[in-house]
Amino acid sequence: MISLQRLTKRFGGQTAVDALTLEIPGGQIVGFLGPNGAGKTTTLRMLTGMLEPTEGTATICGFDLRTDPVEVKRRVGFVPDSGAVFESLTGLEYLEMVAALYAIPADAARTRIRQFLAFFDLSFETLTDKLLGAYSKGMRRKVVITAALLHNPPVVFFDEPLDGLDANAAVGFKALIQTLAQEGKAIVYSSHVLDVVERVCDRVILVDKGRLLVDGRPDALVAAHGAGTLEKLFIQLTGASGLEQRAQDFARTFRP
Amino acid sequence: MNAPPKLDGSDTPPPASGRVPTQARVLRKLFLTLFLRGRTSRGLQRSGAPGSIGRKLFLTLLIYALFGCFGATFAGRPVFALSLYLHAITLMFLGMFVAASAGEVLFNREEGDILLHRPVHPRTLLWAKVGVLVEVSLWLAVALNLATFVVGCFAPDGGWRFLPVHAVSVALEALFCAGSVVLAYQLCLRWFGRERLEGLMTTAQVLLAVVAVAGGQVVPQLLMRQGRHVHLTSDHLWMAALPPAWFAGLDDALAGSAARSSWALAAMAFVATGGVAWLAFGRLSNQYGAGLMALAEAKAPRTPKGGRRWLHSLVEIPPLSWWLRKPVERASFLLTAAYLLRDRDMKLRLYPALAPMVIMPVIFLMRDAGGGTGAFGVAFAGSYLALLPLLSLELIEYSQHWQASDLFRAAPVSGPAPFCNGSRRAVLLLLTVPAILVATLITGVLTRDPARLVLLIPGILALPVYAMIPCVRGRAVPLCRPTEEAKSARRALTPIVVMLLAGVLSGLAAWAWSGGWLASFLAVELLLVVLTYGLLRSIAARARWSPME
Repeated sequence: MISLQRLTKRFGGQTAVDALTLEIPGGQIVGFLGPNGAGKTTTLRMLTGMLEPTEGTATICGFDLRTDPVEVKRRVGFVPDSGAVFESLTGLEYLEMVAALYAIPADAARTRIRQFLAFFDLSFETLTDKLLGAYSKGMRRKVVITAALLHNPPVVFFDEPLDGLDANAAVGFKALIQTLAQEGKAIVYSSHVLDVVERVCDRVILVDKGRLLVDGRPDALVAAHGAGTLEKLFIQLTGASGLEQRAQDFARTFRP
Repeated sequence: MNAPPKLDGSDTPPPASGRVPTQARVLRKLFLTLFLRGRTSRGLQRSGAPGSIGRKLFLTLLIYALFGCFGATFAGRPVFALSLYLHAITLMFLGMFVAASAGEVLFNREEGDILLHRPVHPRTLLWAKVGVLVEVSLWLAVALNLATFVVGCFAPDGGWRFLPVHAVSVALEALFCAGSVVLAYQLCLRWFGRERLEGLMTTAQVLLAVVAVAGGQVVPQLLMRQGRHVHLTSDHLWMAALPPAWFAGLDDALAGSAARSSWALAAMAFVATGGVAWLAFGRLSNQYGAGLMALAEAKAPRTPKGGRRWLHSLVEIPPLSWWLRKPVERASFLLTAAYLLRDRDMKLRLYPALAPMVIMPVIFLMRDAGGGTGAFGVAFAGSYLALLPLLSLELIEYSQHWQASDLFRAAPVSGPAPFCNGSRRAVLLLLTVPAILVATLITGVLTRDPARLVLLIPGILALPVYAMIPCVRGRAVPLCRPTEEAKSARRALTPIVVMLLAGVLSGLAAWAWSGGWLASFLAVELLLVVLTYGLLRSIAARARWSPME
């Protein structure tokens, strides 16, 4: 469903994504991990047609990103980490606008929106009475997730989707992506919340400095590296050692 | 939390069946709504936002319509002369509007995360945005020309046909104006590459707006001076170099004298507009998608190390270190200076708005050089320059990053005064002093009587008082309000009232100069300025934060 062949992105002289090669079939939840600046968001932005790759190819559902970007976008849902929305629209105006861009008829869009409202425990009035600028961060995130799934895409990219969601919503969201995967969709889930990734994802891809470090089932990777948990594996592979000591040293020196 | 919605094929909405508006229509509606409501409106209820912005737009249109009434002074002139004036003014206002709005509408960085991953062709996106720019330009143009539609009908060589013909020429002019700005952007992208796109767009936009303002102010002056010697007709060859003359030619050809030269100018209007539209909206529109991607991948521009050192070193050495000895004022000074020099949005709003403040004194001085305004012109030039910090401070309040100003309220400072003071000092040092030096130089060159330079002093002497006015209500806190509020026509009230007072002061100064008692006048003014400044400063120091909405 998703195929990357030596996908590369350079910004000037800096390589953000370095010859990434991957295959992701439908029905799989893939945790896409890496430290800050590892190239995760850049990769997702290339796969959603927001950035042009410098080298390499990528196809989604058989459509090439370079030659058929619009067809790729039709089959992709994306929840960006920024959670950006048009703040001066109401939630309903925003979602109806998004639905119309995917040529979903208004009545079908309303039905789908109501389904998501029920799922997220939001009232229809909230969606019609308030501008998105007045929403809490969590509510806004729910709208962004709804907007990404309204057109029922076969491929969904989530970039830090839990940011701002409360515990209940986060639990519900995990159930949602498992349901989506059972329906055969390919889910790419980028997050720094490693315990959630460990519990939800079938497969973990760890990148650093734009390069692929490891790719496999979370339990298998943890066992193969003798790390105990995914968090320890992450620290072990990305070279961030002695963090506790560094924190203690900092606290000692940081006294006004 | 309920069970997750089933998204399998069974309840998938049928694609493109039933009545589905086209993407172009959806996007045009979206961008028009965003233009009217603004892009950010945190904390507003739906009922409040559109209505209030609608009122603001109505006020803006009303002000344009009132300003357009000046065209009535051209009553009795032939169609070509009247149309030339109307199209020059319209082009100036539209140029300012389109240049100021185009950056936010065409290349909005935040929009990328919302729209770039949707299945929309870049050309559809561009056309929807241009459609909105042209539509709003038309509203403004019609408001500006409302009164003169009637004046044209009663021109010596005019008639009822002026009404529809002028409507067409104004529409064509709006298209030409929007197309020119979009074309300038596309060419920047094509010639100078992606990396430099944002910086170049800012520069291009500021220059376009400044040229529009300067052209709109200076060209009518030149025309009026020319008009004393020659009739404004389409026969002059140099008319072909003036875009407003092309559209005036169209009016004159179809609803005026129908001179052969007017037909030639009218043809130029069609060719130029068609060419610009074809290039901007057709031929180069494929570059638009690349431009949006460039914005998405563009990193924050690097600050030149030398420039940064220069700014920070400046405040470390006397006399600036004495002037900015309080840390909060110094931080506010540096923040304001950084935004004045680096921030794209700030540059786009501030410099085009300030251009008339620097150009108008030159106009007064040109009139003086022509023997038109006498001492009052020079005195009013000084007063105009003195208004520069007031207008700047009113504009520096607005920023796309206004939410970050919550930091000021969280800081252990009792009120907004230190932030206002830092910002005010940045404006005085970085904008006002250079502007006064340049204007004084121009005055020295243009004025016939160098002794008249002394008449600049009364206006400039009042500058510290004008600059304190925004601080009194604690309104001069830098970057603390969303940019949408800057569209409010009410915002212009304070500068207008202060400008009237400055006019009175200039009149008194000119009277004192002609009466030979200017020195006494200056002494009294200085005393009043010191007292008023002290009073305003103490009021400003007591100002408290306005409640957060």
